[in-house]
Amino acid sequence: MTVVLSYSEDRGLALELSKGASLLAATSGATASAVVVDGLGETAPGGHVLVLKSERPLAGDYELIAGALAAAAKAKNSSIILIGATKQGRQVAAKLSVMAGMGVLSDVRSLRMDGGRLTGVRGVYAGRFNATVTTDLPCIALVPAGCYQAETGAPPEVEELAVGNLPSRVRHLETRPRSKGAVDLKTAEIIVAAGRGFKKKEDLALAEALVKALGGALGSSRPLSSDLGWLSEEHHIGLTGIYVRPRLYVAVGISGQLQHVAGIKDSKVIVAINKDKQAPIFQVADYGIVGDLYQVIPALVAALAA
Amino acid sequence: MNIVVCVKHAVDESELRADPAGKPQLQGAQSKMSAFDRNAVEEAVRIKEKKTGTVTVISIGSGDWKKSLKEALAMGSDKAVAVNSGQSLDALGTSYYLSRAIRRAGPVDLVIFSEGASDTYHGLVGPMTAEWLELPFLGYARKLDVGDGSVRCELALEEQEEVAEATLPAVVSVVSEINEPRYPTLLQIMQASKKPMEEVALDSLKDERVPPVRVTVTDVQAQALSRKRVVFEGSPEESSKKLVDALRRDGTI
Amino acid sequence: MGLFQTEHENVLRTFYGPDHAAYESVLESLARFLGAEVEPMSPRFDEEGGGIAGVRKALFDQGLARIPFEAHGGISLPFGVYSLAMELVGSADAPTAMSIGVHNMVAEGVFRFGTTSQKESVFSDLISGRKLGAFSLTEPTSGSDAKSMSTTAIREGSGYALNGSKMFITNAGDADLYLVFAKTEKGHSAFLVDRSTPGLSAGADIPKLGMRGSRTSEVRFEDCHVPSESLLGEDGSGFEYAKSMLNGSRIIMGSICVGIALTAYRKALDYSKQRALFGQRLADLQLTREKIANMRTEITSGRLLCLYASRLKELGLDHASEAAQAKVLSTEMAARVCDQVIQVYGGYGYTDSDVHRHWRDARLLAIGEGTSEVLRMLIAGKEVSGQR
Repeated sequence: MTVVLSYSEDRGLALELSKGASLLAATSGATASAVVVDGLGETAPGGHVLVLKSERPLAGDYELIAGALAAAAKAKNSSIILIGATKQGRQVAAKLSVMAGMGVLSDVRSLRMDGGRLTGVRGVYAGRFNATVTTDLPCIALVPAGCYQAETGAPPEVEELAVGNLPSRVRHLETRPRSKGAVDLKTAEIIVAAGRGFKKKEDLALAEALVKALGGALGSSRPLSSDLGWLSEEHHIGLTGIYVRPRLYVAVGISGQLQHVAGIKDSKVIVAINKDKQAPIFQVADYGIVGDLYQVIPALVAALAA
Repeated sequence: MNIVVCVKHAVDESELRADPAGKPQLQGAQSKMSAFDRNAVEEAVRIKEKKTGTVTVISIGSGDWKKSLKEALAMGSDKAVAVNSGQSLDALGTSYYLSRAIRRAGPVDLVIFSEGASDTYHGLVGPMTAEWLELPFLGYARKLDVGDGSVRCELALEEQEEVAEATLPAVVSVVSEINEPRYPTLLQIMQASKKPMEEVALDSLKDERVPPVRVTVTDVQAQALSRKRVVFEGSPEESSKKLVDALRRDGTI
Repeated sequence: MGLFQTEHENVLRTFYGPDHAAYESVLESLARFLGAEVEPMSPRFDEEGGGIAGVRKALFDQGLARIPFEAHGGISLPFGVYSLAMELVGSADAPTAMSIGVHNMVAEGVFRFGTTSQKESVFSDLISGRKLGAFSLTEPTSGSDAKSMSTTAIREGSGYALNGSKMFITNAGDADLYLVFAKTEKGHSAFLVDRSTPGLSAGADIPKLGMRGSRTSEVRFEDCHVPSESLLGEDGSGFEYAKSMLNGSRIIMGSICVGIALTAYRKALDYSKQRALFGQRLADLQLTREKIANMRTEITSGRLLCLYASRLKELGLDHASEAAQAKVLSTEMAARVCDQVIQVYGGYGYTDSDVHRHWRDARLLAIGEGTSEVLRMLIAGKEVSGQR
């Protein structure tokens, strides 16, 4: 009987992956265990929970977590480990992969068991293509948000496992939590994103007005957050930023470079407003207006109020 | 200071076309140094310029992958190691061979990767290579400071910024916000061809630890473009009204 | 699509054999820079009628002006490689290319005819881009008949006093250094005049049909005193120098036109594959295919003639006729190609400045740096007199 483990330091993602592990386990006659480190915490997944403990806290250190997961996988004879595809998750998966000689399917959706192999689909070439990837067992899968429905519910069956003293060589000196915007872009239903079409920082007030009129959240393409610093990193949507899945995504003054589009592909409806009719964003939009945003946005806000 | 920077000669995803069956036309597709690897090379060269030392740039590839190494040399790297691989490698294999090439290149203080390749973006090869080398890994550095025998980084994670430190030798991955990569001058490009570039066969690097290929790609298919691509015409007032009507009709708002 | 394409690789291979790889790296890197930093700005330069100073400086910093020179800070690449480089710049933004091409003509003049001290200071300032040059030959009443110029340089004390005016001078107003041709008692001479010299004034930018990003104006000399050190080379040899400088520059103007035509052609080709009519693509209709074939052939021929003239120059062979042929053919074919591009786009070609600006840009170059008429006289003159 093999075990499918799931883990993410992100609580929301951990709940989703716990469900994913249960589904995978059910299709292959295995069992599932959701792994948490140090303690159960507030939101615990349902089903079987494995709490990994050591002499010192494991959270926040990829080496400690990887080492703990390796111990858990060994103890439970685990064939599949689902790890949340966060930055830390990747580092944990990478170390664990080399330690145990396991393959890693990264950023995979539609995971399924396929004749003793784990198979999934991931975006490649900045999301323009989908690759079907497969690996033998035991293996690791890095799973992004939105693949499974998080399920809390019945109180979990808790098991503790002591993983012993683990080595780590990175010294964590300081942690500065990011100031959260009012709405988390990852779960926002309506997003207005601003791009280079805005000439100066003060003009973002126009974007804010549209955000307010739609009842959504403000995001941006990379230049506005990284290069110009008009908005903080949390607003950056794209391949190296946040992946969003809103019901409505409005790209204002954004040309539509692949690096940005990679982050918005799962939006239900995409609207583009841009002065340049050749801008690539119009190729990936459901609705578009070719025009000067300085005129279109006020008109749009007015039309929404009508 | 001995710095190694690893680069990938990646398919230019913006130029890649799909054939009528939806498969990527890789034959004859343009390739270039992965965009974020430029930031890694730039950071390596900046550290060398501040601290004195050498930058060795390594790439595993085939075809015309040496072009990316030449660019890295033109940007200021001192020597290049071109590992010739005809094989399709997964991240585990790539990182293994990179670790072998790095060991072969001599004692190293710092290994720099980008946050991920622009075409596949796994972000795994960096930390995996660190593990093969048995070195600590600091990922997603927005700022890098090399001190006496240690490296301190500001790490850009999703929920927080972290300041972390490790004793050298260590492996770091950098985010694209860390710097603005230089454009080498035409003179530097000419001079790059005089800098040493060594070609090494993949098989010559392996030892008993070589991992089998675990992950394979069985199919690549273009994402169906199912967007409506409706463009509303008219004055800002007219087109806005049409847009709002369409969104209300769909039930989107 | 990247600016450096297989056709550029191929022409390097056919003209330069084993050395082609090194030149490829240089041009690929330049093309990458142009594609990222210059090409996206090109519509704005046309719209606003200026603004190229930033990208021009960035290209100088890259070393573009150093390419064809063998000493004093040059990077000693063949003139043909410089010619291809300028084609690439022309395909990214024509006004920027023209501005730099004219500037480099002044640099070439100093390099070939200047004193050692002029080469060490002025030339270095020019090819580094620290100083911008303006080639000042044409006057309000003398263009093709340059010898009939009326600007004079009268000996005064140890120097000269310049009086007269020059017209349609590229880079005037922005330039730091003017290469001014004037009549002395010995004949025609060339003077290097600093912008701050009292008596020199540049007029306002003259609005043009195309090449709007490049500044063009009148330059007036009113009792403008210059020291004797400002004389370039020999007193009385200026006209010969001008003819010689113009040879190289004509090849470059031809190359820039090849670049303009290539950019316009690519747009038309893409458009013709997307535009649907009569149940097919525009690109599938016979008359469009004829246009495509003609444009393609004309562009290839222009490039080859410019490269051929370049190679003759590299080998130190007489190339005045070939340079003139390259310019006549390339500039006229660019106007033809860009005109056909407008036709392919139909109504959109006539109304979208992003399409018609290529014709507007190309149209100048059958006039500037030697009109097609003057050049035909040069070519035919050599043929008839048997000077070949």
